[in-house]
Amino acid sequence: MNEVMLLFIVLFPFAAGVLVSLIPFKNRKAMLIFIETAVIINSIMVWMILLNRPAGTFTMLKFSGNLSVTFHIDGLATVFAGLVSLLWPLATLYSFEYMKHENHEKIFFTFYVITYGVTLGIATSANILSMYFFYELLTLVTTPLVLHTLKREAVLAARTYLYYSIGGAAFAFIGMIFVIIYGSTSDFIYGGVMNIAPHAENTNLLLFIYVLAFMGFGVKAAVCPFCAWLPQAGVAPTPVTALLHAVAVVKSGAFAIMRLTYYSFGTDFLKGTWAQYTVMGVTIFTIVFGCSMAVKERHIKRRLAYSTISNLSYILFGVTIMTPLGLVGALTHLVCHAVMKICSFFCAGAIMYKTEKSYVYELDGLGRKMPMTFGIFTVSALALMGVPGLCGFISKFNLAKAAVESQNTFSYVGIGALLISAILTAIYMMGIVVRAYFPRQDFDQETIADAKDPNWMMLLPLGLFTVAMLALGLYPTPLLELFRNIAMGLF
Amino acid sequence: MEFLRNFPCFSLILTMCASIVSSGMNGKWARRLNIVVIVAVGLLSSAALYLTVTTNQCYVYKMGRFPAPWGNEIRFGVLETLMALFFSIIMLLSVLGGRKHLFEELDPFKENLYYVLVNLLMSSLLALIYTNDLFTAYVFVEINTISACGLIMIRESGHTLEAATRYMIMSLIGSGLLLFGLCILYGITGHLLMSNIKEQVALLVATDQYHIPLVVAIVFIVVGLAVKSALFPFHSWLPDSYGYSTASSAAILSSLVSKGYIFLLIKVFYRVIGFEIITESKILNVLFVFGLCGMIFGSLSAIKENDIRRMIAFSSVAQIGYIYMGFGLRTEAGIIASVFHIFSHAASKSMLFISAVGLTDVSGKSKKFLDLTGAGYRNVIAGITFTVGALSMVGVPLFPGFISKILFARAGVSVPLNRMLPTLICLAVSTILNTVYFMKTVLRIYTPVKTDYINIKWKENLCCGIVCIFFIILNIALGMYSEPIVELISRGIAMFA
Amino acid sequence: MNESVSLLAAILFPVLSGAVLLLLKKLNDRRKVLIYAGIAMGIAGVLILNALLGKEKEILLFFLTEDIPIVLKLDNMGKWFLAIMSLIWILAGIFSFPYMKHEGKERRYFGFYLITLGAMAGLGCAGNLVTMYAFFEFLTLASFPLVIHNQSREAVMAGLKYLFYSLFGAYMALFGLFFLCRYTDTISFIPGGTLNMELAKGNESVLLLAACLMIVGFSVKAGMFPLHAWLPTAHPVAPAPASALLSGVIVKAGVLAVIRVIFYEFGADFIRGTWVQYVFMTLSLITVFMGSMLAFRENGLKKRLAYSTVSQLSYILFGIALLNPVALTGSLLHVAGHAVIKCALFLCAGAVIFQTGITTVDGLKGIGKKMPVTIWCFTIVSLGLIGIPPTGGFISKWYLAVGALESGIKGFQYAGPIVLLVSALLTAGYLLPVTIKGFFPGTDFDYGETKKCEAGAAMTIPIVILAALSVLIGMFPNTFIEFISAFTAGLM
Repeated sequence: MNEVMLLFIVLFPFAAGVLVSLIPFKNRKAMLIFIETAVIINSIMVWMILLNRPAGTFTMLKFSGNLSVTFHIDGLATVFAGLVSLLWPLATLYSFEYMKHENHEKIFFTFYVITYGVTLGIATSANILSMYFFYELLTLVTTPLVLHTLKREAVLAARTYLYYSIGGAAFAFIGMIFVIIYGSTSDFIYGGVMNIAPHAENTNLLLFIYVLAFMGFGVKAAVCPFCAWLPQAGVAPTPVTALLHAVAVVKSGAFAIMRLTYYSFGTDFLKGTWAQYTVMGVTIFTIVFGCSMAVKERHIKRRLAYSTISNLSYILFGVTIMTPLGLVGALTHLVCHAVMKICSFFCAGAIMYKTEKSYVYELDGLGRKMPMTFGIFTVSALALMGVPGLCGFISKFNLAKAAVESQNTFSYVGIGALLISAILTAIYMMGIVVRAYFPRQDFDQETIADAKDPNWMMLLPLGLFTVAMLALGLYPTPLLELFRNIAMGLF
Repeated sequence: MEFLRNFPCFSLILTMCASIVSSGMNGKWARRLNIVVIVAVGLLSSAALYLTVTTNQCYVYKMGRFPAPWGNEIRFGVLETLMALFFSIIMLLSVLGGRKHLFEELDPFKENLYYVLVNLLMSSLLALIYTNDLFTAYVFVEINTISACGLIMIRESGHTLEAATRYMIMSLIGSGLLLFGLCILYGITGHLLMSNIKEQVALLVATDQYHIPLVVAIVFIVVGLAVKSALFPFHSWLPDSYGYSTASSAAILSSLVSKGYIFLLIKVFYRVIGFEIITESKILNVLFVFGLCGMIFGSLSAIKENDIRRMIAFSSVAQIGYIYMGFGLRTEAGIIASVFHIFSHAASKSMLFISAVGLTDVSGKSKKFLDLTGAGYRNVIAGITFTVGALSMVGVPLFPGFISKILFARAGVSVPLNRMLPTLICLAVSTILNTVYFMKTVLRIYTPVKTDYINIKWKENLCCGIVCIFFIILNIALGMYSEPIVELISRGIAMFA
Repeated sequence: MNESVSLLAAILFPVLSGAVLLLLKKLNDRRKVLIYAGIAMGIAGVLILNALLGKEKEILLFFLTEDIPIVLKLDNMGKWFLAIMSLIWILAGIFSFPYMKHEGKERRYFGFYLITLGAMAGLGCAGNLVTMYAFFEFLTLASFPLVIHNQSREAVMAGLKYLFYSLFGAYMALFGLFFLCRYTDTISFIPGGTLNMELAKGNESVLLLAACLMIVGFSVKAGMFPLHAWLPTAHPVAPAPASALLSGVIVKAGVLAVIRVIFYEFGADFIRGTWVQYVFMTLSLITVFMGSMLAFRENGLKKRLAYSTVSQLSYILFGIALLNPVALTGSLLHVAGHAVIKCALFLCAGAVIFQTGITTVDGLKGIGKKMPVTIWCFTIVSLGLIGIPPTGGFISKWYLAVGALESGIKGFQYAGPIVLLVSALLTAGYLLPVTIKGFFPGTDFDYGETKKCEAGAAMTIPIVILAALSVLIGMFPNTFIEFISAFTAGLM
């Protein structure tokens, strides 16, 4: 497969997105068909590329000196690009139905499709500058999506989102510069590229910079204390919250941290230093903090957003274990959480779309009226709790396994945090499920008489995600094999 | 080929003559002449750039064939010609972009006067760039001050008069300091030509003579030029004069006038004192600290500001802080970064001023934030242009701000820790602060509002629209293909020595 | 029948039939539901019996990941628990047919009732730790709807409390599970433990912590102090047969899990003499005493029984904590004895509630005249729980006390039996008043108003059977003791 194709998968969504806003479609249906076709074509292209991986790199842009925007596909890129390309067509399908009751769809879909390209850009970046480039771009193209309703709170949310994201990128930028200057190359190479020996006296400085960059990229991955933007951004339409704020954007942050830790700074350098303990402490705190906030929160989407915060730090916790197994755990949770969270968000969206109820205490008795939606929501809740047989258990198991294997006392604390978070997850998710299925005795069924399941465009993605959760939960072996190869640096 | 070496001199003379000629013309013809002249200067400069790049050497051009030390010299290399070319582009775009406003805000009888001042300013800038003689430089600094003052004042309102007065006072203090410095330098070296002074200074330093006078001279020159270019504690004149003058003037002032002084300062560093001597003196430390403070406090003031033009003006204070911070790094890489930032800031800031005017036009001429709500929908092109400028200022990849940020950071990483960390932290913090006020504005102009403002017609504002598009192209080109420019800058700086 | 098929069938049939019952909206007629449930229960009972009679064989179902196999193996320990569980389940099930009439929503009730059996069967058949953990969580989730059946605010809150306590315990156990996966040769259950001593060397402290967390975590289900609070809240609000199932059987899941962890994973030798054992013993003794005291003070009948469960379960846990074969035998006997007795007690309480609506002990005056059979059975099983020969309770307590005395652990050697005795006295104090009030309501009681209102056969027969069983265990304990000691011997 030609390397130029790497450029294609990034630019094609751009072109398609721009065309969406330029072509005067005859009717809504024509536009939707166009969008879905474009997205599916791109996904197919991505998979064709992933299956016949080009060995070389493709340089799109040269800034100055050795700084360039370059694409390359390695194991980690395969995972992220593969994940994104599977989720995007389904999420797009879902959003067709959801966006019916929102205005100016054209702008929405323009940016929605463009974001696909940008996310793939992050996935396929060959060096840290390219990643930074797409990382910033991601902030910009997703802002209009947050802004979508143009209501006051949307504007405030978009503002917060921008401040946090660009602010975080500013610190990540420092880390990037250090990698460029101190690294033998700025490309991503498993095991790290830093030239430590000549700068032995600067070890502490480099560690400090690592922490800084970790927190910088961590803003997108919503580590505490930089997580306030995520629940706020929940004002965006649900497809955005689900796909972007549960998958693409936040996972880009986590992905960037993986790259930073395993591919730029290198775990040999970081392991056992104060930097590792610092970042691990942050993730452990965030795990517990996110869950506690989710328990407190009454708004469904914001509750799920807090849940995302906590779950992202699972991934980051895996990363900060800094062993190959840690990376395996992190990648497993990256994939599993994507499926679980997009599923629960879509259910929440379907509920909001069909009943216009958005607070937990309004959901009484809906379980009967929307059996499919709530059935799937229950499955995703159980998966998030880590019930064996569903994918959440696998990822939790792998993370804990890595933590135990690392024989690092501090990571034992992390296991404790995972489990505290699991019980809190049970509280905030089962709270919803129980309410929906077992309304209070005196509940009047008439008030929700006309609630019903959404149509196939919403249910199809939900069904597929459920199948995915089960499949990943029962037969994750091939995927784990892939991750293990990546973490050994083989793939 | 040899003929090309006359071009810088031609462009100087051309602009001066044009300013004299246009004083006798009416507004319309003066305007046309002005555009022709600027375009001509651009062409001449690019021809000269071509010459210097291909031959890879710098040329000394003796005015009136008198040899040094009596004669006056012009000296140009890659950097000078590049700078001249760039200045003329920005000048052209700024003048064209604010043209509509000139009609509205100026007394019709004074229109030609405006172009007289613009031509004069252009000639003084060119002179600052090309001259190899310190006293000539001083003379043109004064001319520059006067013409800039005129540009501020030409829109007659209470604010501008006050602003111009302030500007005048601060500028004259700056020129005074500069003059003192020059006098001392002349006193201890006996020369006015830069190359001669440099030899003498090197000799003095080697023999350890006149140590204190030399330092005092350096301090005077540096502080004088810093005052004139609005380095942080001396920036009080800036917001008013940029904020209330007519759009073109603001764009020109912010992106060119202060940059002319900074370029002169670089020349002083390299061509007059010698870079090694400058780096050994403590003056750069002071500039470093002031630069950092400027980056932070400029942005903080901008955040507090409620008037879009003044906000952009405060942002200039911050950006000038970047440039001085680059000097303060005391390395060649720092200087290169600063020079690149001169370019990128000039391109972005003039664009911001022009587009901000486009936005205020559709908001009932109000510069207040609240009134700007939704302006991005009413004047689409200005909205996009402003967004691009804002992104560039924030330092988003694809735009020139990002490249200068990278250059600054790379320069910053290679210096000792006590400079590295402040540089990097301030860069990051300042990025965040920039985000706060620029993104706030961008979101504001894209927040819809129900008003009865008239949407601007594309045709009515054709000139401004085209200028905006050119600005966008210029910025993106600078952001994406920065490599040759950085290359030229480093070659140019190498030629200085 | 092939062993693998028989085990799978025993687990899957109840789950699937329950799920079908839940999903079949057409089965809205009460009669049809009962017929369906009756047939399904019958088949499930046969299938489980078939599994129980089969040989012991390990069946590898599949790999969850390559280091987590899902394994089914029905060893004697599993059989013992499974037999008790399914017996109680069937008897309580028969009782529910008439009883659920006044609770309503039979379809949902029987659906989850069937699924619960599947989960219990899975728990008994689980061949390794992860499999057991999976079924443990599954059991919690499946039994949850039984607790909140009537959907009153109180019931839902109690149900959530049950759910969260159980899950919390499960997650505590999961912590240990992660460590076990690393430090054992295999996570399959092997008598004597699978801990790899070479790997464990140097990591004892963290492993002991893990063991402690696992024990305490799984004991949550068995209502051990300090995480016992869910039990007295959840049991009374559930319908009576469901409480019987919860108190008689589901809490035993915790016991089974603790036994599996101690004797089949860590190994008794690893725990013996460490702080973990002391903590475990202390907690269980505290619970024994505290449960009895609380039961003594309680007036609500079902709540009193629930506190009694708290107390009795910790007898069993104490027996396990002693880590010697005699005490373990006592514990396992008490598992059976308590299951039978407590189920009978709850069913009696249910029958009383069903017939008269009385829920407090004080209201039971003269009930013996109205429902003589029920209260007689109540009295018989009460005596069993107190530990009066020749009932089942006596034998198990005897073994527990002997085990404690033989253990030679300073302090607990004597403290244990004393606490057990005191608690037995308290048990008498809280159970016998029911009988006394029932039969001897006092001189001022007006006999004129009483008329016989014995519950129907479907309710009375299970109670009678259970009462008879409790006596039988006491009278012919040797068969059981032989069976138990045959496999407990290999554990230590």
